[in-house]
Amino acid sequence: MSDRLTMEELATLMKSAGITVDPSELASRPDSRFDDYGLDSLGLLGIVGELENRRGRALPTDADRCKSPREFVDLVNNSLMTGA
Amino acid sequence: MKSRTAGTPVAITGIGVVAPNGIGADAFWKATQAGDSVLDRVTRQGCEHLPVRVAGEVRGFDPGALVEERFLVQTDRFSHYALAAADLALEHARLGRADYEDDPYAVGVVTAAGSGGGEFGQRELQRLWGQGPRYVGPYQSIAWFYAASTGQISIRRGFKGPCGVVASDEAGGLDAFAHAARGIRQGSRAMLAGATEAPLAPYSVVCQLGYEGLSTWDDPERAYRPFTAKACGFVPAEGGAMFVVEDAEAARRRGATVRALLAGHAATFTGTRSPDSSGEGLAHAIRGALREAGLAPEEVDVVFADALGTPEADAAEARAIRDALGGHGSKVPVTAPKTGTGRAYCAAGTLDAAAAVLALEHGVVPPTPNVFDVCHDLDVVTGSARVTPVRTALVLSRGRMGSNAALVLRKGPESRA
Repeated sequence: MSDRLTMEELATLMKSAGITVDPSELASRPDSRFDDYGLDSLGLLGIVGELENRRGRALPTDADRCKSPREFVDLVNNSLMTGA
Repeated sequence: MKSRTAGTPVAITGIGVVAPNGIGADAFWKATQAGDSVLDRVTRQGCEHLPVRVAGEVRGFDPGALVEERFLVQTDRFSHYALAAADLALEHARLGRADYEDDPYAVGVVTAAGSGGGEFGQRELQRLWGQGPRYVGPYQSIAWFYAASTGQISIRRGFKGPCGVVASDEAGGLDAFAHAARGIRQGSRAMLAGATEAPLAPYSVVCQLGYEGLSTWDDPERAYRPFTAKACGFVPAEGGAMFVVEDAEAARRRGATVRALLAGHAATFTGTRSPDSSGEGLAHAIRGALREAGLAPEEVDVVFADALGTPEADAAEARAIRDALGGHGSKVPVTAPKTGTGRAYCAAGTLDAAAAVLALEHGVVPPTPNVFDVCHDLDVVTGSARVTPVRTALVLSRGRMGSNAALVLRKGPESRA
């Protein structure tokens, strides 16, 4: 489903927060912490906002508290599926 | 944390400058000493049609080459200058992570800022009203704020010592040195201190249009000529300077060069009513700073003037210098290199302090560009630099809102002759 959040798209969103990361690195180490990539809580909040604008729908309120790419991608995709 | 006494000598060991006339202490000093004026027509996007025609813009500054992208996206231009200037100051002081990684609490940061991040704030407000609240980025919450530079320098470098922001009008740039000295005397090993400003963005410029004394002349050579009969106000500028401030003894122990000593500081507040009262307040600040330094008026070798550039404010400053220094006030060399770069609000005092430290190091008083035919009883250095032994420099700063400050710098014992 094209609506699903991929590691490629997450890498693009992280770029807008000033973090350059290879999508394959995100995919191969999905449990690394956002902190370790240098992404802070406001950065993740900005990514949530951008993603909500792109998808035209709200994400769960705890989306910006996710600690790792895997946690975030799973939460976003579960939410998109159940809301569809 | 070891506490030191009130008399502990506090040293400047590193200077980081991002100024309209040069990036880095060497480039800045070369242009300042030569008396080059870089005042020019305002070219910043969105500002071209505004009534302020001339300014001191920092050109050729590439933040992406100096600061990591993740810090750039969450900060305004004024913080970009501060982050870059802090790096330059640390490099100049040869103070690296190895010097403090055993005790990150030993290093603190203090900055002063007047206008904060107007350019960043304007962009986000335009998103708010153009696209809606969902398009305002979260960094709006921190980037516009005048505390941003202190916080980001501290985070980026891992400095966990005392961090603060001076909000005391334009004179805050000099007050930051006093706060840094206090940090050292309370036990910090080093403090990053200074100020940077970025007031050349459309929203910020519009905010300044009501300032009495803002020059709207369109000739870069005539727009800012303090202490002359043609004085028509001041020209705004951006940029600023950061400094590494250390306990002088500790600096020597680690092999650092003591470039100058922070000998004395005092500040007063006289309100906005009239330039006359700023003269009295400034004189009081000068006396206080000399008292702390334990120096007589005759020992001042050069005065870096505030040079607000209106006839009343210039007269008040000339009177303050003569009142506080007595007969020496008419004889001591007075300079205002900012006539070649513009007045960078809070950062103006820090750029003057940088020029003063370099003047002490080199034994040269830089000139006051574009100023000729001085109409006050002051020995203003015009035309070209004056080579003269300089052991003590007095730096003056006033804010339009009524703050006045004086800073006394002494030549470091290890400076070049």
